[in-house]
Amino acid sequence: MRARAVALATLASVSIVGIGWQLGTQAIDASQNLTAATGGSAASTAATEAAAQAAATAKAAAESAAAAQTQADTANTAASAKVAADAAAAATAAADAASAANAAAVATASSPSGTFTGSVVQTQFGNMQVSVTIANGAITEVTPLQLTNRGGRSVAISNQAAPILRSEVLAAQSASVQNVSGATYTTDGYLRSLQSALDTAGF
Amino acid sequence: MRSDCERMPALTFATMGTMVSLRLGDAEHGATALTAAAQQVETVFRRWDEQFSLYREDSELSRVARGDIRLTAASESLRDCYALALDWRDRTQGVFTPHRGDGVIDLSGVVKALAIAEAGIALTDRGLRNWSINAGGDVLVCGDALGHDWVVAIVDPADRGESIASVPLRHPLRAVATSGSAERGQHIWTPRNFEPSPFRQVSVFAADIVTADVLATAIVAGGEAALGDLAERFPIDVLAVLRDGQLLATPGLRKPLSRTTTAIDRFSSASSSARADAPARPAACERRASR
Repeated sequence: MRARAVALATLASVSIVGIGWQLGTQAIDASQNLTAATGGSAASTAATEAAAQAAATAKAAAESAAAAQTQADTANTAASAKVAADAAAAATAAADAASAANAAAVATASSPSGTFTGSVVQTQFGNMQVSVTIANGAITEVTPLQLTNRGGRSVAISNQAAPILRSEVLAAQSASVQNVSGATYTTDGYLRSLQSALDTAGF
Repeated sequence: MRSDCERMPALTFATMGTMVSLRLGDAEHGATALTAAAQQVETVFRRWDEQFSLYREDSELSRVARGDIRLTAASESLRDCYALALDWRDRTQGVFTPHRGDGVIDLSGVVKALAIAEAGIALTDRGLRNWSINAGGDVLVCGDALGHDWVVAIVDPADRGESIASVPLRHPLRAVATSGSAERGQHIWTPRNFEPSPFRQVSVFAADIVTADVLATAIVAGGEAALGDLAERFPIDVLAVLRDGQLLATPGLRKPLSRTTTAIDRFSSASSSARADAPARPAACERRASR
C-alpha cells in the first residue's frame, strides 16, 4: 500500500507540475519573483532550486510539453516555484510520501525556515498568489491567498483527493457524535443503524 | 459524563422512505417553541415528499411521469426544482442527471436535500441558532452542539455498524452527504459508460446540503475523473471509499499534522467567486456566516 501511495503521490506531483508548467509559461508579468518575507536569499535559493528540480521532473514526464520551454526566464522560474510548492503539497497529502515530496521539491542547501509569500501572478485565468511555509527546508504548508477565477469559479490546483490511511483522517476532538452519514437507509434500515443508536442515546 | 439537562435528544420521524433525526439546541426558547419548530420541519419534509416522491402514485411528479400532466402545465415549484436539477447536470458535465434510465424525470437526487435546506431556513428564521438535521444520512448543522462542534461519523460501507471517520462539521462546510454504489442500486442513474463505480461510497462536505448531495452522487457515478474535477471546481472536501476499502481524501480531511490547503481555506479566500457555485436556493444559517 505504501508503494502504491508513493507511486500515486509521484504521479500526482508530476501531473500537477505539468499543468502548472503550462500555466507558468502563460504568466504575463515577467517581474514576478517569489519574495521572501523572512529568511531572505536562502529561501529564494531553496525555492528556485525546487523549481529547477520540478521543472526537470516535468520535462522527463512530459517531454514534448516541457522540452520546448527549457529557457527558464524569470517568470517561468517564479511560476514554477509555486508549482513546485503545490506539487509538494499534493505529494505531502499522499500517505507517508512526505519524504519523497521533500526530496523532489526542496533544496538541500541551507535548510531555511519561515513563511514566504509569493507575489501576485497574473495568469490568463486571473490573479494567483500563494504563501509557502518552510520548516528546516521542508515545505509544511501551502496556502492560496488568491485563487484564479474562471467563469466565476475558483480554480485551485491543490484540492486533489489522495490516498489516506484511516488513522490519518481528520478526527473530531469531541467524543460526542450526533450524526451518522452513510448511503441512505430505509425506514426499516434505520432501526438497525448507528444513527438509531445515537438518537436513542440522546448523545 | 453529561448531566441529563445537557443532553440534546433527537426527534425522529419517517418521511421520503427514510428517517429524519432532528436535534434542537437553544433550550432557552422553551419546549413549546421547540416543539412548534420540529413540527414545521416535519411539515416541510411532508410537503416535498407529497409533491415529488415517485413511489407515491398521487404525487405531482408521478402524474408528470405518467403523462397525466404535461411538464409545461406542472406547478411552478416543480418546474423550478427540475430547472435546478438540470442546472446541476450542466455543472457536473452531465454526470448528475435528473432523468432515470427510462427517461422519466426523477428529482430524488435533489429533493431530499432541498427539503433539508428549507427546513434549515425555517429553523433559522425562527431564531434557532444551534440545530442539526439528518435525513437518511444527509446532514446539515448550524451553530454548535452544546458548545462543541457537531460531529458526524462516516459509515464504513463494509460494516454499517462501524464508522471510518468522525469529522467535525464547522462553518463553512456544515453539510455532508454520502452516496453509495451498493445499497440502493437505483439511487444513481448514470453510470457513465455503464461500468460499475470505482467507489463504494463517497461523502462530500460542502457549505450547503444540495451541493453536498448532488456532488456525492456525481462522484459515485463519474468515478475518479469526476472526483478530481469536482474537488477542484467546488469548495468541498471529499472522503471516498474505493471498492477495495482504500480511502481517498482531500487535504481538508487530513489530520492537521501537515496541514495543506483545505477546502475551508479555499472557501474563505475565494468566497466571492465561490458564491457563483452556490445553488439557487440560499443556504440556511446565513446569519452565522460572519462567525
